[in-house]
Amino acid sequence: MKSSVREGVTGLALVLPPFFLLVFFILLPAAEAVLGTLRVERSGQLVYSLARYVEMFHTISLRRSVGFTVMVTLASVAVTFVLAYALALYLRFSRGWVSTLLGALFIIPLFIPTVIASFAMVTFLEHHGYIATLLHYVGVEDTPSLVFNATGIVLTEVWASIPFATLVLLAGLQGIDDALIDSARDVGAGALRTFLAVVLPLNAVATIITMSLLFIGILGSFTIPYLVGGNAPQMMSVVMTNYFTNYLRPDISVSLAALSFVIAGLAGAAYVAGVSRRERGAV
Amino acid sequence: MSAVGEAVRERVGGLFWFWSVGAFRRSLPVLFLLGLAAFILGPLLSLILWAFAGRWFYPALLPQEFSLKWWDVVFGNRSVVNSIKYSLMTAPTVTLLSALICLPAAYAFARFQFPGRRFLLLSFLSANSFPKIGLYISIATLFYRLHLMTTFWGVVLIQLMGTLLFMIWIPTGTFRGINRSLEEAARDVGASGARTFFQITLPIAMPGLLVAGLFAFLAAFDEAQGTLIVGSPNYITMPVMMYTLVLNYPQPVGAVFSILLTLPSLVLLLLAQRLLRQGYLAAGYTL
Repeated sequence: MKSSVREGVTGLALVLPPFFLLVFFILLPAAEAVLGTLRVERSGQLVYSLARYVEMFHTISLRRSVGFTVMVTLASVAVTFVLAYALALYLRFSRGWVSTLLGALFIIPLFIPTVIASFAMVTFLEHHGYIATLLHYVGVEDTPSLVFNATGIVLTEVWASIPFATLVLLAGLQGIDDALIDSARDVGAGALRTFLAVVLPLNAVATIITMSLLFIGILGSFTIPYLVGGNAPQMMSVVMTNYFTNYLRPDISVSLAALSFVIAGLAGAAYVAGVSRRERGAV
Repeated sequence: MSAVGEAVRERVGGLFWFWSVGAFRRSLPVLFLLGLAAFILGPLLSLILWAFAGRWFYPALLPQEFSLKWWDVVFGNRSVVNSIKYSLMTAPTVTLLSALICLPAAYAFARFQFPGRRFLLLSFLSANSFPKIGLYISIATLFYRLHLMTTFWGVVLIQLMGTLLFMIWIPTGTFRGINRSLEEAARDVGASGARTFFQITLPIAMPGLLVAGLFAFLAAFDEAQGTLIVGSPNYITMPVMMYTLVLNYPQPVGAVFSILLTLPSLVLLLLAQRLLRQGYLAAGYTL
């Protein structure tokens, strides 16, 4: 009994310094900022109201931005997920030079700062960029615009997210016992059937973790939509910055930040639910 | 059920007739490799060409004229050189400080039972999901009061916030993955708690801690929004400088600077390639 109390106190004491930093420099400032968006001056008195949030939802450009942000984020998560899953499956179940090369290749974007990734993508995809040049040589002239729009953002987000998603999914796949897969094949299941009935369910936790963390990361990203996105509609992080620096409406900017935090919170809840499921031993 | 399955298979089989061609199925991984290589390396190669381009007009596949003149432009610009210096000062400081503060906490999360453990561990996710721009006013007010605005330590502190998640979650997973019986064996033969930790636990945990340090370093090195808020105009780091270069200078200048900005992380890539595949990252995210 006594030693468990001591353990608890030591544990808390060790955990408090970073938690204190988090509270003091993120959570309290965030709470203060969000409370500020709820305070409105009415006939010389400060009252609490949702007026700013109502204004936000009545502004068409802001409403469009929220929808655009969610759509771009979901599309990026979906494309990243499909590519990363294919990669992880191949790396887990195949040996040989293709596997070795893929293993060296997929990790590269992790080490390229996002500013650089965005800039490189622009030179690659822009009007008269490298893709356009290559297409010119095979006789294609009228290409749809690939950058400064949603396509550009999705491509760049996918580019930047592949390493993280693949690493987490791959680790999940490596946790699956070869014997389970062999026995499925022994009773006559094809590759697709084995994947759907054995691999996919066993890797469910890694899947939920990957998807929710990708969602949170892409939703809040600023650099990529700022440099690769178009003029309208823009993603919420860019709109926030514009409202702050150009339109001098920091209150709207903070309201948008709060909304984005709430949307990220939904993904966070999915993450917690997924991880708890594992702890209960359901997977 | 099986009749429907059969029908579906027939339809799909008809559509994807090429699937039954053995040569196609065998070459599929190679096609995937080539496609992914083009997607991942294409933008980087285009960037490298731009950095050495003297003159490059559409539709030439390679620059009409190669030149190093943009490198002189970049190295001749004092604020660019300073930004390199600041970045190389802040990111390592942040990583070390983050390790100092977070690793004991990670050990506690992995090994001790205490009230609110799970909640506290999860709370660090919030550090990376509240948009920094939403904190601008409150952070600026707070940092002015603490005399941290436009100072070195202010920049370090704001970058530190972005590293907490990596430095706590990944090492927690690593420590949890270490078999306790090894530590108990050391204690049984009379090693003190500290000795056990430094001679048994820490060496086994080292690869995982290095992965965490790597992610923390990259997060700090890459951080631009918070650094812009707190650091400018005194401490303009490389990513912040890059915004100016991308938006206001000719394309080759941005390309040259991009290569410089990528060098430190490329060195890390070569050192860490092996460690990354070993699941330390994922272990941290399974709580």
